[in-house]
Amino acid sequence: MAAPVLAPAEPAVATAPGSGPGGLRRRLSGRRTRFGLLNATPIVVYLLVLFVYPIFSTLLLSVEGEDGGFTLHWYADALQGTNLDILLATLRISAETSLLSLVIGFLLAYWITRLRPLWAGLVMLVVVVPHFISALVRTYGWIILLGDHGLVNEALVGLNVPGAPFALLYNEIGVVIGTTSVMLPYTVLLLYAVMRGVDRGLTAAAASMGAGRLVTFRRVYLPLVAPGLVNASVLCFILCLGYYVTPALMGGPKQTMVAALIDEQVMKDNQWNGASALGVILLLLTFAGLLLLQLFKKVGMARRNRGAA
Amino acid sequence: MKDVRIDRRLFLRGVGAVAAGVAASSLAACGTGSSRSAGSSGTAGSSKTIVVRNSGGAYGDANQKALYEPFSKETGIEVKVININYAQMLAQIEQGRPQFDLIDNSMIDFVKFAKAGATEQLDYDRLKNAKNAGIAQNLLATHAVGKNYWGSVMAYRTDAFGGRKPGSWAEFWDTKALSGNRALQHVDADIPELEFALLADGVPLDKLYPLDLDRAFRVLDQVKGSIKKYWDTGALPGVLLGRREVDASSVWHGRLDDLIKQGQPLAYQFQGARRQSNGWAVPKGTNNLDAAYQLIDFSLRPEVQAHFAEVYPMAPIVPAAYEKLSEEVSANLLGSSKNLATGFDADVEWWVANDDVVTKRWQEWARV
Repeated sequence: MAAPVLAPAEPAVATAPGSGPGGLRRRLSGRRTRFGLLNATPIVVYLLVLFVYPIFSTLLLSVEGEDGGFTLHWYADALQGTNLDILLATLRISAETSLLSLVIGFLLAYWITRLRPLWAGLVMLVVVVPHFISALVRTYGWIILLGDHGLVNEALVGLNVPGAPFALLYNEIGVVIGTTSVMLPYTVLLLYAVMRGVDRGLTAAAASMGAGRLVTFRRVYLPLVAPGLVNASVLCFILCLGYYVTPALMGGPKQTMVAALIDEQVMKDNQWNGASALGVILLLLTFAGLLLLQLFKKVGMARRNRGAA
Repeated sequence: MKDVRIDRRLFLRGVGAVAAGVAASSLAACGTGSSRSAGSSGTAGSSKTIVVRNSGGAYGDANQKALYEPFSKETGIEVKVININYAQMLAQIEQGRPQFDLIDNSMIDFVKFAKAGATEQLDYDRLKNAKNAGIAQNLLATHAVGKNYWGSVMAYRTDAFGGRKPGSWAEFWDTKALSGNRALQHVDADIPELEFALLADGVPLDKLYPLDLDRAFRVLDQVKGSIKKYWDTGALPGVLLGRREVDASSVWHGRLDDLIKQGQPLAYQFQGARRQSNGWAVPKGTNNLDAAYQLIDFSLRPEVQAHFAEVYPMAPIVPAAYEKLSEEVSANLLGSSKNLATGFDADVEWWVANDDVVTKRWQEWARV
C-alpha cells in the first residue's frame, strides 16, 4: 500500500538509539552530526526570521490592549455576535466543500485509475490546469455559467424543468460550487496517488472468495484507500478555512468568511489586534484539523492491529 | 501492476516545482513598487523627481497621460508612481520614511490620515489655483485639497421595466412598479449607501446629515428582498447589469462607459448622486515639499482639470474647467452645475466618525 502523502516523517530523535542525556551529548559531538547541524543552520535561521517571528508577533498583537497591556478582549470580540456567525459560516462552508469535493474527487480519481495511461494523463491535466487560471477569471466564468441567464439555467428553462431558473449564485450553493471546483485538484491528486497503490489482486481475491461488488468495495477497497480519504478531506477543510475570493464573488452577505473579515479589519479599519485574534483562531482551527487527522490515523492503526491479532 | 502510469513521484515533483515557482513570483510581486528612486531623496531644492502614490489601474493611466506627463514637460520634474494601500502608507509614515512625497487618495482617507497626524497642514498661499477659484469649501480642508469628483450614481438597463426609466431613488426602491432585481454596494467596497435609502424615503438633499440610522436601515429593509448581490468590486455592477442578473444598481460613475460605448443598453441616472472627491495630501517626513506643491497647483489649473475629464470620467472641481468642455461631456460629469444641484456631497467627517458603528450594523443587517 502506498504511504499516505501527508504522513509526517517520523521524528528522527525518537527512533535514534541511546536517548539518555549522555547519549545526546555523545551524538552532538559526532563529526557527522556537527556537519549536519551546520548544514541545517541557514534553514533554521530562515524559518526563525520568516516564520516563527511573524507568528509570534501576531500572537502578541492579538492579546495586546489599546493601552498596550494584556487583554483577551479581541478574542471575546471575535467569538460573539456577527464575528461568531462568520466563524461558524466559515466552518460550515468548509465542511460542505470538503464533503462534496471528497465525493466528486473519489469518483473522478477512481475513474482515472481505470483509464489507459495516456487518457489518465489527459484527464489529470484537465483537472489540474484550471487551477493555474487566476481565481478572478474563473469566478467570472462561473457567473456566465450559473447566472439567472447563464448557460445552465437557460438550458434548464429550455428543457422546461419545473422551478427553473434556479438561484445558483450569490447564495451558499454558489459558494460551495465555486470552492469545490478549486478544491477538486487537491482531492483528486491525493486520492489518485493512494488508489494507484491499491493492489488489484486483493479485490480480485475478494471476488474469487464470493464477495459481491458492494462487499468488496466496502470491506476491501474502502479500508485500503481510507487514509487517502482522511488526508484529502482534512487538507480540503484546512485550505477552505482561508478562502477569500470565491465566497466574496459567488456568495451573498450570509457567506462572508473569516479571511474577508480579517482583510476588512486590516485594510479598512486599521484594526490589527482584532485581525490578529481572528488569524490565531484560524491557525488553531487548522491545528485542530491536523490533530483530527492524527486521531483518525491512530484509530485506523489500532483497528488494523486488532484485526491482525 | 501491468500499466506504466505517470510516475507519482515525478508528478509530485513537477507539482512542487510549479508551486515553488508560483511562491517565488508572488514574493517578487510583493517587492514591486518599493524601490524608491535615488533622485527623490536629494534635498528639496535640487530634486528632480517626485514620488506620487495613486490607486493605479485606469485611474493611474489617466493621471500619467493628463497630469504627470504635461507636468514633467513643463517643470522638468519627473513623476514616479507607487500603488500601495492605506494601511501600508500609514505604517510607512509612522516609521518616518515614507516612499512617497505626495498622496493621491480619496478625501475620506485624508480625514483619517489627519486624525492620525500623518499629513502636513497645507499652506494655501502656495496653491495659487486653489484661491478664489470657486472650489467647494469642503474640498479645501486643512490637511488635504480636492482633485477630481467621483461618486455613486444609479444605473439601469434601458430595456427593463417596460421602457420606464427610474428617475430617483424613490423609484429604485419601488419594486412593485418597477419589478426586477437590484444590486447595491457592499460595505467592503466603500461607505454604505444609507443616503440613498433616506432620499428614497423623502429626506431632502440638504437635510441628510447626520444620518438617521434607524430610519435608513428601516427603509433598506423594504428593498432587501429584491437585492440580488451586494457588489464589492467596481467592475461587478457592469457585469451584473450586462448579464441581466439585475435591472438596476448603484455604480461608481464611469464604470459603465466602456459597456455603453460597446452598445449595451445601460444608462446612468444622476438624480441623488453621492459625490466624493479624490484629493492631495502631503505625508509627514517628505523632503520634497516644493515639487509636491507644484504638482498640486498644476493639477488645479482649469485646462488641466478639463483635460483630465476628457481622458477619465472624473469631474473637475474647478468650475472654470467646465467652460473648456463641450455640453455633451459636461452633462456626463458629476461636477457640472446641473449635476451639482441634483446630487449631494458625502459628509466625509461624519462618515469617518461613524464608519465603525455603521459598518458593524450593516453587516448585522445584511446577514439576517
